[in-house]
Amino acid sequence: MSPLLISLKVAGWVTVLILPPGVLLGLLLARGGFRGKSLIETAATLPLVLPPTAVGYLLLRLLGRYGPLGEPSLGFDLDLLFTWKGAVLASGVMALPLVVRTARVAFEEVDPRLEGMARTLGLGRVRTFVEITLPLARRGLLAAAILGFSRALGEFGATVIVAGSIPGRTQTLALAIFNDMQIGHDSEAMALVAVTVALAFAAVFTVEILLRKRPDVA
Amino acid sequence: MTPWLLVDINLPLDRFTLSVKWETSGPALGIFGPSGAGKTSILESIAGLRRGARGTVRVGGETWLDSARGIVRPPEGRGVGYVPQDALLFPHRDVLGNILSGSGRARRSGAPRVDPERALEVLELRDLRHRDVSGLSGGERQRVALGRALCSGPALLLLDEPLGSLDQPLRRRILPYLLRIQEEFAVPTIYVSHEATEVTLLCREVLVLEAGREAARGRPEEVFIDRAIFPMARAGGFENILTGRVVEASRSVATVELEPGTRVTVAAQGQSVGQDVIVAARAEDLILAVHPPTGLSAQNILVGEIREIRQPGGGDGGIDEDGGQVVVVVRVGRLGVPLLATVTAQACRQLALAPGGRVHLVCKANSLHVLATR
Repeated sequence: MSPLLISLKVAGWVTVLILPPGVLLGLLLARGGFRGKSLIETAATLPLVLPPTAVGYLLLRLLGRYGPLGEPSLGFDLDLLFTWKGAVLASGVMALPLVVRTARVAFEEVDPRLEGMARTLGLGRVRTFVEITLPLARRGLLAAAILGFSRALGEFGATVIVAGSIPGRTQTLALAIFNDMQIGHDSEAMALVAVTVALAFAAVFTVEILLRKRPDVA
Repeated sequence: MTPWLLVDINLPLDRFTLSVKWETSGPALGIFGPSGAGKTSILESIAGLRRGARGTVRVGGETWLDSARGIVRPPEGRGVGYVPQDALLFPHRDVLGNILSGSGRARRSGAPRVDPERALEVLELRDLRHRDVSGLSGGERQRVALGRALCSGPALLLLDEPLGSLDQPLRRRILPYLLRIQEEFAVPTIYVSHEATEVTLLCREVLVLEAGREAARGRPEEVFIDRAIFPMARAGGFENILTGRVVEASRSVATVELEPGTRVTVAAQGQSVGQDVIVAARAEDLILAVHPPTGLSAQNILVGEIREIRQPGGGDGGIDEDGGQVVVVVRVGRLGVPLLATVTAQACRQLALAPGGRVHLVCKANSLHVLATR
Protein backbone atom coordinates (compact mmCIF):
# COMPACT_ATOMS: atom_id res chain seq x y z
CA MET A 1 0.00 0.00 0.00
CA SER A 2 1.30 3.46 -0.83
CA PRO A 3 2.24 5.85 1.98
CA LEU A 4 -0.66 8.13 0.98
CA LEU A 5 -3.22 5.32 1.30
CA ILE A 6 -1.76 4.14 4.59
CA SER A 7 -1.90 7.70 5.92
CA LEU A 8 -5.50 8.15 4.81
CA LYS A 9 -6.48 4.81 6.32
CA VAL A 10 -4.80 5.55 9.63
CA ALA A 11 -6.10 9.12 9.85
CA GLY A 12 -9.58 7.99 8.84
CA TRP A 13 -9.73 5.40 11.61
CA VAL A 14 -8.32 7.87 14.09
CA THR A 15 -11.10 10.32 13.24
CA VAL A 16 -13.83 7.70 13.59
CA LEU A 17 -12.44 6.32 16.83
CA ILE A 18 -11.54 9.47 18.75
CA LEU A 19 -14.49 11.61 17.73
CA PRO A 20 -16.98 10.04 20.20
CA PRO A 21 -14.72 10.19 23.26
CA GLY A 22 -13.30 13.54 22.14
CA VAL A 23 -16.77 15.08 21.73
CA LEU A 24 -17.90 13.62 25.05
CA LEU A 25 -14.86 14.98 26.85
CA GLY A 26 -15.35 18.33 25.16
CA LEU A 27 -18.96 18.42 26.32
CA LEU A 28 -17.97 17.43 29.83
CA LEU A 29 -15.36 20.16 30.00
CA ALA A 30 -17.67 22.77 28.46
CA ARG A 31 -20.72 22.08 30.62
CA GLY A 32 -19.66 20.12 33.64
CA GLY A 33 -18.82 21.71 36.94
CA PHE A 34 -17.30 18.76 38.72
CA ARG A 35 -14.35 17.91 40.92
CA GLY A 36 -11.21 16.95 39.10
CA LYS A 37 -12.22 18.88 36.01
CA SER A 38 -8.86 20.66 35.77
CA LEU A 39 -7.11 17.34 36.18
CA ILE A 40 -8.95 15.83 33.20
CA GLU A 41 -8.35 19.03 31.29
CA THR A 42 -4.62 18.83 31.92
CA ALA A 43 -4.40 15.14 31.13
CA ALA A 44 -6.27 15.67 27.88
CA THR A 45 -3.87 18.43 26.91
CA LEU A 46 -0.62 16.63 27.77
CA PRO A 47 -0.06 14.93 24.40
CA LEU A 48 -0.16 18.39 22.82
CA VAL A 49 2.88 19.57 24.75
CA LEU A 50 4.84 16.38 25.38
CA PRO A 51 7.45 15.35 22.82
CA PRO A 52 5.67 12.85 20.53
CA THR A 53 8.53 10.44 21.09
CA ALA A 54 7.80 10.51 24.82
CA VAL A 55 4.17 9.58 24.17
CA GLY A 56 5.27 6.90 21.74
CA TYR A 57 7.72 5.48 24.20
CA LEU A 58 5.10 5.34 26.96
CA LEU A 59 2.73 3.51 24.62
CA LEU A 60 5.50 1.13 23.65
CA ARG A 61 6.20 0.31 27.27
CA LEU A 62 2.46 -0.04 27.94
CA LEU A 63 1.97 -2.47 25.09
CA GLY A 64 5.34 -4.18 25.24
CA ARG A 65 6.01 -7.69 26.42
CA TYR A 66 6.36 -6.70 30.10
CA GLY A 67 3.86 -3.80 30.07
CA PRO A 68 0.40 -3.91 31.67
CA LEU A 69 -1.17 -4.31 28.22
CA GLY A 70 1.38 -6.81 26.95
CA GLU A 71 0.51 -10.38 26.01
CA PRO A 72 1.69 -12.04 29.24
CA SER A 73 -0.36 -9.66 31.40
CA LEU A 74 -3.55 -9.76 29.33
CA GLY A 75 -3.36 -13.40 28.34
CA PHE A 76 -3.81 -12.51 24.68
CA ASP A 77 -2.05 -10.37 22.11
CA LEU A 78 -3.57 -6.99 21.26
CA ASP A 79 -1.41 -7.12 18.13
CA LEU A 80 -0.88 -3.37 17.98
CA LEU A 81 2.90 -2.98 17.96
CA PHE A 82 4.37 -2.52 14.48
CA THR A 83 0.96 -2.75 12.80
CA TRP A 84 -1.16 -0.05 11.17
CA LYS A 85 -3.50 -0.35 14.17
CA GLY A 86 -0.58 0.71 16.34
CA ALA A 87 -0.19 3.74 14.11
CA VAL A 88 -3.89 4.50 14.68
CA LEU A 89 -3.40 4.27 18.44
CA ALA A 90 -0.29 6.44 18.48
CA SER A 91 -1.60 9.19 16.23
CA GLY A 92 -5.01 8.94 17.91
CA VAL A 93 -3.53 9.75 21.28
CA MET A 94 -1.65 12.64 19.70
CA ALA A 95 -4.75 13.97 17.95
CA LEU A 96 -7.16 13.68 20.88
CA PRO A 97 -6.28 16.97 22.61
CA LEU A 98 -7.01 18.94 19.46
CA VAL A 99 -10.38 17.26 19.07
CA VAL A 100 -11.30 17.75 22.73
CA ARG A 101 -10.32 21.42 22.69
CA THR A 102 -12.13 22.24 19.47
CA ALA A 103 -15.23 20.33 20.56
CA ARG A 104 -15.14 22.10 23.88
CA VAL A 105 -15.12 25.51 22.23
CA ALA A 106 -17.91 24.38 19.91
CA PHE A 107 -20.10 23.46 22.89
CA GLU A 108 -19.18 26.56 24.83
CA GLU A 109 -20.52 28.66 22.01
CA VAL A 110 -23.96 27.12 22.32
CA ASP A 111 -26.03 29.30 24.65
CA PRO A 112 -27.02 27.08 27.60
CA ARG A 113 -30.22 29.11 27.86
CA LEU A 114 -31.30 27.62 24.53
CA GLU A 115 -30.91 24.19 26.09
CA GLY A 116 -32.94 25.31 29.10
CA MET A 117 -35.60 26.62 26.73
CA ALA A 118 -35.74 23.27 24.94
CA ARG A 119 -36.24 21.50 28.23
CA THR A 120 -39.13 23.75 29.25
CA LEU A 121 -40.70 22.69 25.95
CA GLY A 122 -40.68 19.10 27.14
CA LEU A 123 -37.43 17.78 25.66
CA GLY A 124 -35.38 15.63 28.01
CA ARG A 125 -31.62 15.92 28.39
CA VAL A 126 -30.80 13.48 25.63
CA ARG A 127 -33.25 14.91 23.11
CA THR A 128 -32.11 18.42 23.96
CA PHE A 129 -28.55 17.36 23.22
CA VAL A 130 -29.47 15.66 19.96
CA GLU A 131 -31.97 18.25 18.71
CA ILE A 132 -30.48 21.49 19.98
CA THR A 133 -26.89 21.23 21.21
CA LEU A 134 -25.48 19.00 18.48
CA PRO A 135 -26.97 20.87 15.51
CA LEU A 136 -25.88 24.20 16.98
CA ALA A 137 -22.34 22.93 17.58
CA ARG A 138 -22.12 21.05 14.30
CA ARG A 139 -19.69 23.37 12.55
CA GLY A 140 -17.27 23.35 15.43
CA LEU A 141 -17.57 19.59 15.75
CA LEU A 142 -16.88 19.13 12.05
CA ALA A 143 -13.84 21.35 12.48
CA ALA A 144 -12.76 19.17 15.40
CA ALA A 145 -12.99 16.09 13.20
CA ILE A 146 -10.97 17.67 10.40
CA LEU A 147 -8.32 18.93 12.80
CA GLY A 148 -8.06 15.47 14.36
CA PHE A 149 -7.75 13.95 10.91
CA SER A 150 -5.02 16.40 9.88
CA ARG A 151 -3.10 15.94 13.11
CA ALA A 152 -3.14 12.17 12.61
CA LEU A 153 -2.04 12.63 9.02
CA GLY A 154 1.08 14.50 10.10
CA GLU A 155 1.97 12.42 13.16
CA PHE A 156 5.55 11.16 13.15
CA GLY A 157 7.29 10.74 16.51
CA ALA A 158 4.82 8.56 18.38
CA THR A 159 3.91 6.56 15.30
CA VAL A 160 7.45 5.62 14.40
CA ILE A 161 8.04 4.24 17.86
CA VAL A 162 4.80 2.26 18.19
CA ALA A 163 4.30 1.17 14.57
CA GLY A 164 7.74 1.38 13.09
CA SER A 165 8.24 2.41 9.50
CA ILE A 166 7.47 -0.70 7.53
CA PRO A 167 7.07 0.15 3.84
CA GLY A 168 3.66 -0.88 2.52
CA ARG A 169 2.32 -1.62 5.99
CA THR A 170 2.95 1.12 8.53
CA GLN A 171 4.95 3.65 6.56
CA THR A 172 2.72 6.72 6.44
CA LEU A 173 3.44 9.89 4.46
CA ALA A 174 5.34 11.48 7.33
CA LEU A 175 7.46 8.38 7.82
CA ALA A 176 8.03 7.93 4.09
CA ILE A 177 9.31 11.49 3.73
CA PHE A 178 11.87 10.90 6.46
CA ASN A 179 12.85 7.58 4.91
CA ASP A 180 13.27 8.98 1.38
CA MET A 181 15.29 11.87 2.70
CA GLN A 182 17.65 9.57 4.57
CA ILE A 183 18.37 7.38 1.62
CA GLY A 184 18.77 10.39 -0.67
CA HIS A 185 15.54 10.06 -2.70
CA ASP A 186 15.08 13.81 -2.75
CA SER A 187 12.61 14.05 -5.61
CA GLU A 188 10.38 11.33 -4.05
CA ALA A 189 10.53 13.12 -0.71
CA MET A 190 9.59 16.39 -2.39
CA ALA A 191 6.61 14.78 -4.13
CA LEU A 192 5.35 13.40 -0.83
CA VAL A 193 5.83 16.80 0.82
CA ALA A 194 3.73 18.37 -1.93
CA VAL A 195 0.96 15.88 -1.24
CA THR A 196 0.98 16.57 2.50
CA VAL A 197 0.99 20.33 1.92
CA ALA A 198 -2.02 20.04 -0.37
CA LEU A 199 -3.91 17.86 2.13
CA ALA A 200 -3.07 20.04 5.10
CA PHE A 201 -3.94 23.20 3.22
CA ALA A 202 -7.35 21.86 2.23
CA ALA A 203 -8.07 20.71 5.77
CA VAL A 204 -7.02 23.88 7.57
CA PHE A 205 -8.73 26.07 4.99
CA THR A 206 -11.98 24.16 5.50
CA VAL A 207 -11.65 24.54 9.26
CA GLU A 208 -11.09 28.28 8.91
CA ILE A 209 -14.28 28.60 6.93
CA LEU A 210 -16.20 26.41 9.36
CA LEU A 211 -15.06 28.35 12.39
CA ARG A 212 -15.53 31.77 10.86
CA LYS A 213 -17.89 33.74 13.03
CA ARG A 214 -21.28 33.92 11.45
CA PRO A 215 -23.56 36.35 13.22
CA ASP A 216 -26.69 34.49 12.14
CA VAL A 217 -25.59 31.29 13.82
CA ALA A 218 -24.52 33.04 16.99
CA MET B 1 -62.45 28.47 43.55
CA THR B 2 -59.38 26.42 44.37
CA PRO B 3 -56.10 28.16 43.61
CA TRP B 4 -54.50 26.89 40.41
CA LEU B 5 -51.20 28.33 41.37
CA LEU B 6 -49.28 28.21 44.60
CA VAL B 7 -45.80 29.62 44.70
CA ASP B 8 -43.69 29.83 47.81
CA ILE B 9 -40.05 30.14 46.89
CA ASN B 10 -36.76 31.22 48.33
CA LEU B 11 -33.79 31.78 46.08
CA PRO B 12 -30.54 33.44 47.10
CA LEU B 13 -29.51 36.02 44.50
CA ASP B 14 -26.46 38.24 44.31
CA ARG B 15 -27.77 41.20 46.25
CA PHE B 16 -30.72 39.77 48.18
CA THR B 17 -32.70 36.62 48.72
CA LEU B 18 -35.78 36.33 46.60
CA SER B 19 -38.62 35.35 48.86
CA VAL B 20 -42.20 35.36 47.64
CA LYS B 21 -45.32 33.49 48.53
CA TRP B 22 -48.69 33.71 46.93
CA GLU B 23 -51.53 31.64 45.68
CA THR B 24 -54.10 32.66 43.15
CA SER B 25 -57.06 31.42 41.25
CA GLY B 26 -57.11 34.32 38.79
CA PRO B 27 -56.26 33.48 35.20
CA ALA B 28 -53.64 36.15 34.67
CA LEU B 29 -51.19 37.31 37.26
CA GLY B 30 -48.84 40.23 36.72
CA ILE B 31 -45.49 40.62 38.38
CA PHE B 32 -44.47 44.24 38.33
CA GLY B 33 -41.33 45.89 39.61
CA PRO B 34 -38.18 47.74 38.68
CA SER B 35 -35.47 45.86 36.84
CA GLY B 36 -33.31 43.82 39.16
CA ALA B 37 -36.18 43.15 41.57
CA GLY B 38 -36.04 39.42 40.89
CA LYS B 39 -38.97 39.09 38.47
CA THR B 40 -37.17 36.89 35.96
CA SER B 41 -35.79 34.72 38.76
CA ILE B 42 -39.34 33.92 39.87
CA LEU B 43 -40.26 32.75 36.39
CA GLU B 44 -37.08 30.71 36.04
CA SER B 45 -37.71 29.08 39.40
CA ILE B 46 -41.23 28.13 38.35
CA ALA B 47 -39.92 26.79 35.04
CA GLY B 48 -37.34 24.67 36.85
CA LEU B 49 -34.35 26.51 35.43
CA ARG B 50 -33.01 27.64 38.80
CA ARG B 51 -31.42 24.86 40.77
CA GLY B 52 -31.07 26.94 43.91
CA ALA B 53 -34.80 27.53 44.28
CA ARG B 54 -36.28 26.10 47.48
CA GLY B 55 -39.90 25.93 48.53
CA THR B 56 -43.10 24.89 46.87
CA VAL B 57 -44.55 25.31 43.40
CA ARG B 58 -47.94 23.78 42.67
CA VAL B 59 -49.74 24.33 39.41
CA GLY B 60 -53.22 23.02 38.64
CA GLY B 61 -53.03 20.39 41.34
CA GLU B 62 -49.60 19.11 40.33
CA THR B 63 -46.56 19.56 42.51
CA TRP B 64 -43.56 20.81 40.55
CA LEU B 65 -41.39 21.63 43.49
CA ASP B 66 -41.55 20.66 47.12
CA SER B 67 -38.11 20.92 48.66
CA ALA B 68 -39.30 19.65 52.02
CA ARG B 69 -40.41 16.40 50.44
CA GLY B 70 -37.50 16.28 48.03
CA ILE B 71 -39.65 16.75 44.93
CA VAL B 72 -37.94 18.65 42.16
CA ARG B 73 -39.42 18.10 38.73
CA PRO B 74 -37.03 18.76 35.86
CA PRO B 75 -38.06 21.53 33.43
CA GLU B 76 -39.28 18.98 30.88
CA GLY B 77 -41.64 17.53 33.44
CA ARG B 78 -43.37 20.78 34.31
CA GLY B 79 -45.36 22.05 31.38
CA VAL B 80 -44.62 25.73 31.09
CA GLY B 81 -44.70 27.84 27.98
CA TYR B 82 -41.85 30.23 28.65
CA VAL B 83 -41.33 33.37 26.62
CA PRO B 84 -38.14 35.08 27.77
CA GLN B 85 -37.31 38.69 27.15
CA ASP B 86 -34.98 37.92 24.27
CA ALA B 87 -37.28 35.29 22.69
CA LEU B 88 -34.45 32.70 22.59
CA LEU B 89 -35.52 31.24 19.27
CA PHE B 90 -33.66 28.19 18.00
CA PRO B 91 -31.37 29.62 15.32
CA HIS B 92 -31.15 26.37 13.36
CA ARG B 93 -34.89 26.14 12.77
CA ASP B 94 -37.25 28.21 10.68
CA VAL B 95 -40.35 29.92 12.06
CA LEU B 96 -42.56 26.84 11.79
CA GLY B 97 -39.80 24.61 13.15
CA ASN B 98 -39.55 26.82 16.20
CA ILE B 99 -43.28 26.88 16.72
CA LEU B 100 -43.45 23.09 16.55
CA SER B 101 -40.52 22.59 18.95
CA GLY B 102 -42.79 21.65 21.82
CA SER B 103 -45.49 19.90 19.83
CA GLY B 104 -44.37 16.48 21.08
CA ARG B 105 -45.16 17.49 24.62
CA ALA B 106 -48.44 19.03 23.48
CA ARG B 107 -49.48 15.68 22.01
CA ARG B 108 -48.56 13.74 25.15
CA SER B 109 -49.87 16.19 27.72
CA GLY B 110 -53.57 15.90 27.05
CA ALA B 111 -53.82 19.64 27.69
CA PRO B 112 -56.20 21.46 25.38
CA ARG B 113 -54.20 21.73 22.21
CA VAL B 114 -53.48 24.86 20.32
CA ASP B 115 -53.54 24.18 16.62
CA PRO B 116 -50.27 25.51 15.19
CA GLU B 117 -52.12 26.78 12.14
CA ARG B 118 -54.45 28.74 14.38
CA ALA B 119 -51.49 30.14 16.33
CA LEU B 120 -49.78 31.21 13.12
CA GLU B 121 -52.99 32.92 12.10
CA VAL B 122 -53.67 34.69 15.40
CA LEU B 123 -50.08 35.88 15.60
CA GLU B 124 -50.08 36.86 11.92
CA LEU B 125 -47.09 34.67 11.14
CA ARG B 126 -48.54 32.62 8.29
CA ASP B 127 -46.53 34.30 5.60
CA LEU B 128 -43.34 33.91 7.61
CA ARG B 129 -43.64 30.21 8.35
CA HIS B 130 -40.63 29.13 6.32
CA ARG B 131 -38.49 32.14 7.07
CA ASP B 132 -35.15 31.84 8.78
CA VAL B 133 -35.49 33.27 12.28
CA SER B 134 -32.27 35.25 12.00
CA GLY B 135 -33.95 37.60 9.54
CA LEU B 136 -36.94 38.41 11.73
CA SER B 137 -37.63 41.77 13.34
CA GLY B 138 -37.87 42.11 17.11
CA GLY B 139 -41.66 42.05 17.09
CA GLU B 140 -41.75 39.02 14.82
CA ARG B 141 -39.30 37.16 17.04
CA GLN B 142 -41.47 37.76 20.07
CA ARG B 143 -44.53 36.53 18.22
CA VAL B 144 -42.72 33.35 17.18
CA ALA B 145 -41.64 32.79 20.79
CA LEU B 146 -45.26 33.25 21.88
CA GLY B 147 -46.43 30.78 19.25
CA ARG B 148 -43.82 28.24 20.30
CA ALA B 149 -44.90 28.51 23.94
CA LEU B 150 -48.61 28.26 23.07
CA CYS B 151 -48.18 25.20 20.86
CA SER B 152 -46.28 23.22 23.50
CA GLY B 153 -49.45 22.36 25.45
CA PRO B 154 -48.51 24.46 28.48
CA ALA B 155 -50.31 24.28 31.80
CA LEU B 156 -48.95 27.75 32.51
CA LEU B 157 -47.61 30.54 30.32
CA LEU B 158 -44.66 32.51 31.65
CA LEU B 159 -44.20 35.74 29.77
CA ASP B 160 -41.11 37.69 30.74
CA GLU B 161 -41.37 41.22 29.44
CA PRO B 162 -42.43 39.88 26.06
CA LEU B 163 -42.52 43.46 24.81
CA GLY B 164 -39.47 44.59 26.74
CA SER B 165 -37.02 44.70 23.89
CA LEU B 166 -39.39 46.60 21.61
CA ASP B 167 -39.83 50.31 21.17
CA GLN B 168 -43.02 52.01 22.28
CA PRO B 169 -44.96 52.00 18.99
CA LEU B 170 -44.12 48.34 18.44
CA ARG B 171 -45.15 47.46 21.99
CA ARG B 172 -48.52 49.00 21.29
CA ARG B 173 -48.82 46.91 18.16
CA ILE B 174 -47.98 43.60 19.86
CA LEU B 175 -50.17 44.24 22.89
CA PRO B 176 -53.37 43.29 21.04
CA TYR B 177 -51.81 39.91 20.19
CA LEU B 178 -51.36 39.22 23.88
CA LEU B 179 -54.97 40.16 24.57
CA ARG B 180 -56.09 37.98 21.69
CA ILE B 181 -54.08 35.06 23.07
CA GLN B 182 -55.79 35.44 26.42
CA GLU B 183 -59.21 35.41 24.87
CA GLU B 184 -58.59 32.75 22.28
CA PHE B 185 -56.50 30.17 24.15
CA ALA B 186 -57.27 30.85 27.83
CA VAL B 187 -54.01 29.49 29.29
CA PRO B 188 -53.23 30.65 32.84
CA THR B 189 -50.50 33.24 32.55
CA ILE B 190 -47.89 34.93 34.66
CA TYR B 191 -46.91 38.16 33.02
CA VAL B 192 -43.75 39.95 34.10
CA SER B 193 -43.42 43.59 33.18
CA HIS B 194 -42.09 46.90 34.36
CA GLU B 195 -44.82 48.61 32.33
CA ALA B 196 -47.78 49.50 34.49
CA THR B 197 -50.10 49.96 31.55
CA GLU B 198 -49.46 46.51 30.15
CA VAL B 199 -50.05 44.87 33.51
CA THR B 200 -53.29 46.78 34.01
CA LEU B 201 -54.46 45.72 30.60
CA LEU B 202 -53.49 42.06 30.74
CA CYS B 203 -53.85 41.07 34.38
CA ARG B 204 -56.59 41.03 36.98
CA GLU B 205 -54.08 40.64 39.77
CA VAL B 206 -50.62 42.08 40.21
CA LEU B 207 -47.80 41.37 42.58
CA VAL B 208 -45.42 44.27 43.01
CA LEU B 209 -41.90 43.08 43.62
CA GLU B 210 -39.19 45.18 45.20
CA ALA B 211 -35.74 43.76 45.95
CA GLY B 212 -37.00 40.21 46.00
CA ARG B 213 -40.01 40.83 48.25
CA GLU B 214 -43.67 41.49 47.75
CA ALA B 215 -44.37 45.21 48.13
CA ALA B 216 -48.07 45.04 47.28
CA ARG B 217 -50.63 42.77 45.70
CA GLY B 218 -54.13 43.20 44.34
CA ARG B 219 -56.04 44.50 41.36
CA PRO B 220 -53.70 46.53 39.15
CA GLU B 221 -56.00 49.53 38.90
CA GLU B 222 -56.05 49.73 42.69
CA VAL B 223 -52.49 48.73 43.45
CA PHE B 224 -50.86 51.15 41.02
CA ILE B 225 -52.62 54.22 42.42
CA ASP B 226 -51.71 53.27 45.96
CA ARG B 227 -49.59 56.06 47.39
CA ALA B 228 -46.68 53.77 48.18
CA ILE B 229 -46.68 52.10 44.79
CA PHE B 230 -47.61 54.97 42.48
CA PRO B 231 -44.08 56.42 42.16
CA MET B 232 -42.90 53.06 40.93
CA ALA B 233 -45.89 52.66 38.65
CA ARG B 234 -45.28 56.12 37.27
CA ALA B 235 -41.64 55.33 36.58
CA GLY B 236 -43.06 52.36 34.72
CA GLY B 237 -45.20 54.55 32.47
CA PHE B 238 -48.39 54.57 34.51
CA GLU B 239 -51.47 55.56 32.55
CA ASN B 240 -55.10 56.00 33.51
CA ILE B 241 -56.91 53.13 31.85
CA LEU B 242 -60.54 53.50 30.82
CA THR B 243 -62.82 51.13 29.02
CA GLY B 244 -65.80 52.03 26.92
CA ARG B 245 -67.66 51.56 23.69
CA VAL B 246 -67.33 53.54 20.50
CA VAL B 247 -70.59 55.39 19.86
CA GLU B 248 -69.49 57.67 17.05
CA ALA B 249 -66.58 57.43 14.69
CA SER B 250 -65.21 59.61 11.95
CA ARG B 251 -61.95 59.44 10.08
CA SER B 252 -59.92 61.33 12.66
CA VAL B 253 -61.74 60.98 15.97
CA ALA B 254 -64.01 58.59 17.77
CA THR B 255 -66.42 59.20 20.62
CA VAL B 256 -66.23 56.64 23.37
CA GLU B 257 -68.90 56.21 26.00
CA LEU B 258 -67.24 55.27 29.28
CA GLU B 259 -70.53 54.99 31.12
CA PRO B 260 -73.99 56.32 30.37
CA GLY B 261 -73.60 60.08 30.12
CA THR B 262 -69.81 60.16 30.25
CA ARG B 263 -68.22 60.38 26.84
CA VAL B 264 -64.74 61.21 25.64
CA THR B 265 -63.37 62.05 22.23
CA VAL B 266 -60.23 60.21 21.27
CA ALA B 267 -57.84 60.28 18.35
CA ALA B 268 -59.08 57.36 16.26
CA GLN B 269 -57.18 54.68 14.42
CA GLY B 270 -59.90 53.13 12.32
CA GLN B 271 -62.27 52.24 15.13
CA SER B 272 -65.88 51.61 14.25
CA VAL B 273 -69.13 52.15 16.10
CA GLY B 274 -70.02 49.45 18.60
CA GLN B 275 -66.47 48.31 19.35
CA ASP B 276 -65.30 47.96 22.92
CA VAL B 277 -62.06 49.82 23.41
CA ILE B 278 -59.47 50.47 26.06
CA VAL B 279 -58.34 54.08 26.30
CA ALA B 280 -55.31 55.39 28.14
CA ALA B 281 -54.26 58.82 29.35
CA ARG B 282 -51.08 59.77 31.17
CA ALA B 283 -51.52 61.50 34.52
CA GLU B 284 -49.28 64.31 33.19
CA ASP B 285 -51.64 64.96 30.30
CA LEU B 286 -54.69 65.76 32.43
CA ILE B 287 -55.25 69.45 33.17
CA LEU B 288 -57.27 70.54 36.20
CA ALA B 289 -59.64 73.52 36.25
CA VAL B 290 -61.71 74.68 39.21
CA HIS B 291 -64.15 76.67 37.02
CA PRO B 292 -65.84 75.32 33.91
CA PRO B 293 -63.34 76.17 31.19
CA THR B 294 -64.62 77.63 27.92
CA GLY B 295 -63.19 78.30 24.51
CA LEU B 296 -60.69 75.47 24.66
CA SER B 297 -59.44 73.42 21.76
CA ALA B 298 -59.19 70.42 24.07
CA GLN B 299 -62.05 68.11 23.30
CA ASN B 300 -62.67 66.56 26.68
CA ILE B 301 -63.88 68.08 29.90
CA LEU B 302 -64.91 65.66 32.62
CA VAL B 303 -66.37 66.83 35.90
CA GLY B 304 -65.28 65.09 39.04
CA GLU B 305 -64.64 65.33 42.72
CA ILE B 306 -61.23 65.34 44.37
CA ARG B 307 -60.88 62.33 46.55
CA GLU B 308 -57.35 62.75 47.72
CA ILE B 309 -54.36 65.02 47.26
CA ARG B 310 -50.89 63.63 47.67
CA GLN B 311 -48.31 66.24 48.48
CA PRO B 312 -44.68 65.74 47.62
CA GLY B 313 -42.52 64.75 50.58
CA GLY B 314 -44.29 65.34 53.86
CA GLY B 315 -43.82 61.79 55.10
CA ASP B 316 -45.90 60.39 52.31
CA GLY B 317 -43.47 57.60 51.81
CA GLY B 318 -41.66 57.74 48.54
CA ILE B 319 -43.67 60.54 46.98
CA ASP B 320 -40.43 62.53 46.86
CA GLU B 321 -39.64 60.61 43.75
CA ASP B 322 -42.42 62.49 41.99
CA GLY B 323 -40.09 65.45 41.62
CA GLY B 324 -42.18 67.85 43.69
CA GLN B 325 -45.36 67.06 41.84
CA VAL B 326 -48.73 66.76 43.49
CA VAL B 327 -50.88 63.80 42.58
CA VAL B 328 -54.57 64.59 42.54
CA VAL B 329 -56.94 61.62 42.70
CA VAL B 330 -60.27 62.48 41.09
CA ARG B 331 -63.44 60.45 40.97
CA VAL B 332 -65.47 61.05 37.85
CA GLY B 333 -69.14 60.13 37.89
CA ARG B 334 -69.58 56.44 38.45
CA LEU B 335 -66.40 55.37 36.67
CA GLY B 336 -64.99 52.26 38.28
CA VAL B 337 -61.56 53.72 38.83
CA PRO B 338 -60.49 57.18 39.90
CA LEU B 339 -58.33 59.20 37.52
CA LEU B 340 -54.94 60.45 38.57
CA ALA B 341 -53.62 63.83 37.45
CA THR B 342 -50.28 65.33 38.33
CA VAL B 343 -49.84 69.07 38.81
CA THR B 344 -47.10 71.20 40.32
CA ALA B 345 -47.28 72.06 44.00
CA GLN B 346 -47.57 75.71 42.96
CA ALA B 347 -50.62 75.05 40.79
CA CYS B 348 -52.17 73.09 43.61
CA ARG B 349 -51.78 76.06 45.96
CA GLN B 350 -53.01 78.63 43.45
CA LEU B 351 -56.16 76.66 42.72
CA ALA B 352 -56.60 75.83 46.41
CA LEU B 353 -57.29 72.22 45.52
CA ALA B 354 -58.65 70.20 48.42
CA PRO B 355 -60.34 66.84 48.92
CA GLY B 356 -64.08 67.05 48.28
CA GLY B 357 -63.66 69.94 45.84
CA ARG B 358 -65.20 69.90 42.39
CA VAL B 359 -62.78 69.96 39.45
CA HIS B 360 -62.91 69.82 35.70
CA LEU B 361 -60.48 67.43 34.07
CA VAL B 362 -59.37 68.71 30.69
CA CYS B 363 -57.78 66.46 28.14
CA LYS B 364 -56.98 66.74 24.44
CA ALA B 365 -58.34 64.08 22.13
CA ASN B 366 -54.75 63.48 21.08
CA SER B 367 -53.71 62.73 24.65
CA LEU B 368 -56.23 59.93 24.88
CA HIS B 369 -55.11 56.98 22.86
CA VAL B 370 -56.80 53.72 22.12
CA LEU B 371 -54.64 50.88 23.44
CA ALA B 372 -56.66 48.01 22.19
CA THR B 373 -59.93 47.07 20.64
CA ARG B 374 -61.79 44.11 21.97
